[in-house]
Amino acid sequence: MSARLLPGALALLVLALFVGSLSVGPSAVGLGTALTDLLAGADTTAAVIVAEIRLPRALLGVGVGATLGLAGAALQGLLRNPLAEPGVVGVSPFAALGAVIAFYSGLSGTFALALPLGGILGALLAVALLYALAGRGGGMLTLVLAGMALSSLAGALTSLALSLSPNPFALAEIVFWLLGSLADRSLTHVWLAVPFMAVGWALLLTAGRHLDALTLGELTARSLGVDLGRLRLRIVLGTALAVGAAVAVSGTIGFVGLIVPHLVRPLVGWQPGRLLLPSALGGAALTLAADIAVRLPGGAELKLGVVTALIGAPFFLALVLRTRGSAA
Amino acid sequence: MARGWMGVCGLVLAFAALCGGAHAAAPPQRIVSLNLCGDQLAWMLAGRGRIAALSHLARSAELSYVAPQVADVPIVQGAAEEILPLAPDLVLAGRYTAKPTVAFLRAKGVPILELSIPQDFAGIRDQVRRVARALGEEPRGEALIAAMDAALAEPAQRHDGPRPVGVAWQAGGFTAGAGTLTDAVLDAAGLDNLATRSGLKGHGYLTLEAMVAGRPDVLIADAALPTQPSLRQALLQHPALARPGALGRRVTVPAPLLACGTPATAEAVRLLRAALAEGTRP
Repeated sequence: MSARLLPGALALLVLALFVGSLSVGPSAVGLGTALTDLLAGADTTAAVIVAEIRLPRALLGVGVGATLGLAGAALQGLLRNPLAEPGVVGVSPFAALGAVIAFYSGLSGTFALALPLGGILGALLAVALLYALAGRGGGMLTLVLAGMALSSLAGALTSLALSLSPNPFALAEIVFWLLGSLADRSLTHVWLAVPFMAVGWALLLTAGRHLDALTLGELTARSLGVDLGRLRLRIVLGTALAVGAAVAVSGTIGFVGLIVPHLVRPLVGWQPGRLLLPSALGGAALTLAADIAVRLPGGAELKLGVVTALIGAPFFLALVLRTRGSAA
Repeated sequence: MARGWMGVCGLVLAFAALCGGAHAAAPPQRIVSLNLCGDQLAWMLAGRGRIAALSHLARSAELSYVAPQVADVPIVQGAAEEILPLAPDLVLAGRYTAKPTVAFLRAKGVPILELSIPQDFAGIRDQVRRVARALGEEPRGEALIAAMDAALAEPAQRHDGPRPVGVAWQAGGFTAGAGTLTDAVLDAAGLDNLATRSGLKGHGYLTLEAMVAGRPDVLIADAALPTQPSLRQALLQHPALARPGALGRRVTVPAPLLACGTPATAEAVRLLRAALAEGTRP
């Protein structure tokens, strides 16, 4: 497929899956009926279910998925490392930790923006730590090990924070924060997260040209006029804003940022800059598809991260095997 | 008093055969309950004087109907080694009370009464009669049942057309369907249980979409919601439920009334009927 047609084709796929996401749910409400009612201004049950339960879910599927795909592509470009991904390297788990502290302390009850801000602060801390540990000249192994340590630290601290909550349900909700879900989110969550995600997207999408230059090495990039310090800051901030806000409302959905850039890369010709927009669209498509899959009838609804991990973990292992030769 | 005599009997509990003859006739004087429902029935039927200890849940205001009255009654956590020194002459245990503990007590010759889990008012009558017989308090048991039946027999509100719909929807979407005490309470109050209508048997979850689509007239809200935030409680405040007309009204039914099937459960029916009488869609 031509690289020019790819974004358009992916956008069509996202649109189709978006409509699919609005049509699927436990109650037998048809999208057609609901749209007719909504257009007529009738406040029917079908209209409420589609507009207030399924629409926020589909919108967050697009936003969170695009964030994860885009952040994965940008991190892989910045760290020049194919295993970088917000979930694998600990950014999403730290964002979840920040959101957990903001939510269960009751802070977000009095000040709603505390939820995305907590996620963003957590993500910022993780990206900064990661860059300090494995950013410059660190091999693939260093990155994966640093990411693993950050992820387990964040998981343990999240569990600790939930254990300290006096609410009896809190500890059981660790499943949401570790595996992620879009179930029963509301438009409030969309408004809380989307502005921050949009700023993050803008920062990441405009970094393409400099990321392309970086593939030639830091010295060459600098000689081409790339300010490496500013590029790093841009990617770190963009990732933290987008991933932090996304995780704060959806929990940690893993592997999307890993799978999508790798699927898209052969189609765009190995340039990190060209990878960014298609990765965002691909991430949205994969997340919407996975979120439709968890709602298909047959037993209780799965957490979204279960499905993405079932696809992503074998993918990750295959990638480790394939890159093992070159890593040494 | 009989208690002193029973103390002697308790000391020689190891020689249960010596006391066994007396036990069969005399009502138990040192009752220990290891189960929340047993706590409440023992309190209602036997009273303070004959209770040696209740389970630690008896003092929980969120779960126990008798919590305000039992603050000074000794409690046990349920370990065999704290129960045995109390020399109980009857232990009330739930069907799912720690099996090894109950087996150990039984092996030591402690009489055990295993309680069932009533799923309707007939089950409550049976349970009260069984416990009353074991405690030698049959007249008191019949009086409690009569009071419960009188409360249940109060005429239900007349409604034209189909029965109004009710549901007990708790944090996280947890609810009670067919074959549960909550279902029996809703039915007795003249309500159709939305969870049962959705095909749920026993306890389980009802999705937010099913709640919105079902447009219940009455939502039983938990009286004892913890005030600290959790995602499950946030679900109860979802905008799709907060819209006018999505719910008839929230009725607060104290959790102890539904946690155990006791004569007090009739009070839950009365609360629901009162709410229906006020009109379901304000």
